[in-house]
Amino acid sequence: MKPHAMDSGRVLTRRQAIAAAAGPYLAAVAPSALASSPPLVSAARCASYGEAVMPVLRKMFEQLGGIGSLVAGKTVAVKINMESPLRERTGFRPAWYSRWTHPDVIRAAVALFAEAGAKRIRILESSCEDDHPLEENFILGGWDPDKILKAAPNVEMENTAGLGYGKRYHRIEVKGKPYIYPGFDVNHSYVECDVMVSMAKLKEHRILGLALTMENMLGITPVTIYGESAGYEEPALRPYGRRTMFETGYRQPSEPSPKEVDPHSPRDPGYRLPRVIADVLRARPVHLAILDGIETQTASETVTVEPGLGRKIRLVQPGVLIAGLNPVATDAVGAAVMGFDPLADRPKPPFERADSFLRLAEEAGLGPRDLSKIALRGDPLKDLRFSFREQL
Amino acid sequence: MKELIPFRWPKEWTDASYLRWLKGTPINCLVGEHAPPFPLGDYEFVKWDPAQPPAGVTIREGVWPRVLPASKKDAAEAGATGAAWVDSNAGVIRLAQTLEPGKPVWLDYTAPGGNEIVPLDRFARAVAEAQAYGAHWIITLSPAFSVGLAKESQEAAAAWKRIVAALNLFQAHPEWKSYEPAAVLTVVSSFEGEAELLSQEFVKLVPRRHLACRIVRTQDLSESSLRGQKAVVYIDAQPPEGEVRKKLMAFAEGGGLLIAPQGLAGGEPAEVKIGYRIYRAGKGRIAAPPEAWYDPYLLMGEVHQLLSHREDVVRVWNGPDMNSHFVATPSQDRGVVHLIHYGSGLTPPVTLGFQRRYRSARVLTLEGARTIQPFPGGLGEEFPVGEFASYAAVEVMS
Repeated sequence: MKPHAMDSGRVLTRRQAIAAAAGPYLAAVAPSALASSPPLVSAARCASYGEAVMPVLRKMFEQLGGIGSLVAGKTVAVKINMESPLRERTGFRPAWYSRWTHPDVIRAAVALFAEAGAKRIRILESSCEDDHPLEENFILGGWDPDKILKAAPNVEMENTAGLGYGKRYHRIEVKGKPYIYPGFDVNHSYVECDVMVSMAKLKEHRILGLALTMENMLGITPVTIYGESAGYEEPALRPYGRRTMFETGYRQPSEPSPKEVDPHSPRDPGYRLPRVIADVLRARPVHLAILDGIETQTASETVTVEPGLGRKIRLVQPGVLIAGLNPVATDAVGAAVMGFDPLADRPKPPFERADSFLRLAEEAGLGPRDLSKIALRGDPLKDLRFSFREQL
Repeated sequence: MKELIPFRWPKEWTDASYLRWLKGTPINCLVGEHAPPFPLGDYEFVKWDPAQPPAGVTIREGVWPRVLPASKKDAAEAGATGAAWVDSNAGVIRLAQTLEPGKPVWLDYTAPGGNEIVPLDRFARAVAEAQAYGAHWIITLSPAFSVGLAKESQEAAAAWKRIVAALNLFQAHPEWKSYEPAAVLTVVSSFEGEAELLSQEFVKLVPRRHLACRIVRTQDLSESSLRGQKAVVYIDAQPPEGEVRKKLMAFAEGGGLLIAPQGLAGGEPAEVKIGYRIYRAGKGRIAAPPEAWYDPYLLMGEVHQLLSHREDVVRVWNGPDMNSHFVATPSQDRGVVHLIHYGSGLTPPVTLGFQRRYRSARVLTLEGARTIQPFPGGLGEEFPVGEFASYAAVEVMS
């Protein structure tokens, strides 16, 4: 194993170097908002993208009690949802109408964070395809990243599929008893921040049933360590491939990243994936969760549906934005808007193929999924409901 | 000089009656080891001897154009791109045109044999691919195809009709041959010696990234060959010298980006980007790699990043198994994007975006033509090309 020199002159192993690097930052990431009870979630009608987004999002943030205390003077990391393949579209519709967080929502949030005093705003996503700068991946999809970068001062982007602009990976550890992994090694961006925002699309998932703000956080794990082309002896130099190991457990992450606590646990993706999500969220808590449901697609989080599912991808316009200070509560509201019971569990919809990640997250102490325990603000839920399974 | 469109006379065709399949088609040249034993009329015969290729023609061995068949269940052969591996003749043709300028290029290959059954409708793709890049495939029917035509089978006749449709499409648009590759990147190399593998593989790989480029042999480099270009990648083991160096330095100092092996600039770089040291040179920049290039796929990705996808002259969405080749008039007010689909079945709905604004576009396929209108996209106007089988030409007009 190669030795790694540290600032002090001490020589550490690579494993020690990764673990030690995370230390100074972890104290800064405890989410105070998680303690609020009942957690606030705002849901509102927003019929279209463009200029319509900003006033709706502003009002939603106000309904959450304002975001000034959360972001003022802070470095805000925004994990967006930019599902690969980057150059693929649903029909002629660009990916931000179906699978990606729409750039207009990102832009509006960025402007509001800056307005509330954020010191630095970092837009983050890991590509399963390449190590391009994130700006290039926006262009590949067909969007001009400058529209986001110029929405406020001090806005940056980084592709976190590998080391990115960092020099080493940083260890984040699961608080409490882990389900699958005791910790993860991640790009520097997820520890060198004060506030973590998960900004996802309101959409379905082929295994989990739902792909919302919590599932979006799976994407903070580097593809170089957890992707199909991850190295064994050490992280791959370049990222490629999906994080199939989270689903099937066919292998362990690259050395020296933390291995599964029980390699004999079930290899069923429906068992593993929701638990890995709860582990990631306990290792890297989310302070603000935002769901873009203005336009989206049904049936799949990718451009194809699972064979045998019997459903087709439909482009739909639920016309909804949801934001909350707790990701479990926010996703529970998202599930309800999509026409599902957030208290349901396998095998009831939408959890036919997986244990409910909402239940597992709740049991892990991450937040409530019961709507009666959530302080819902904004438009009445019954007016926002858009049943995904009824879109034939 | 008359343009010859070559067809290899099948050995299964034993008398002159089979000439009926060629009658009324653009095919005007028969190729074979021996001339058929009957009068050929207006058809020119070219005796095929690999040791003595016909004068005035550049012959290259090609590959059957396709996505390589799966070697594992449900998985296509993965290439360096991570996407399915595509066998394409684009690079071979463009290299031949660069190394032997002015000569027509003929591709010589046959459909896969053995246990592999090649659907007859795929032969039209082979014809269209070569024509799109300004070359000809020596149309070589498989035994099943030529016997099928001899027996007047419906499948063979329909597949033949598609081949003729492909030939007619290009014959109807002779202006396409006068168009030049629309690109802001030029690849300059000797394409031989130490640089041969890297430079030639680079040229073969770029179509899969939709990275448009011009290709110039080092000794042919002139000021005019770099006119309108934003970047040059000089692929050789050593930095350029003499006149070539002067021309490339003038290009950089005039505002271009010159990507070249270390040694053209020294001192402190103005910035470091993806490991490359970027030096100021007049109004432009010189980018030097951190180490000697060795992997054409990595080099291609690095060049694309240094240039930025923002500079792509054409953007293709929903074209994972597709090559795009954009050729246009010098002013680029008119042009055509050749789209070759190497997969099976129909493409998903394809969308094209352009660096410059075009008023309208026409999609021409082997099945017909239609006009399409632009709609606003995130980076400018986009054109909904739609689905097609193996080949589409998208003509654009300012």
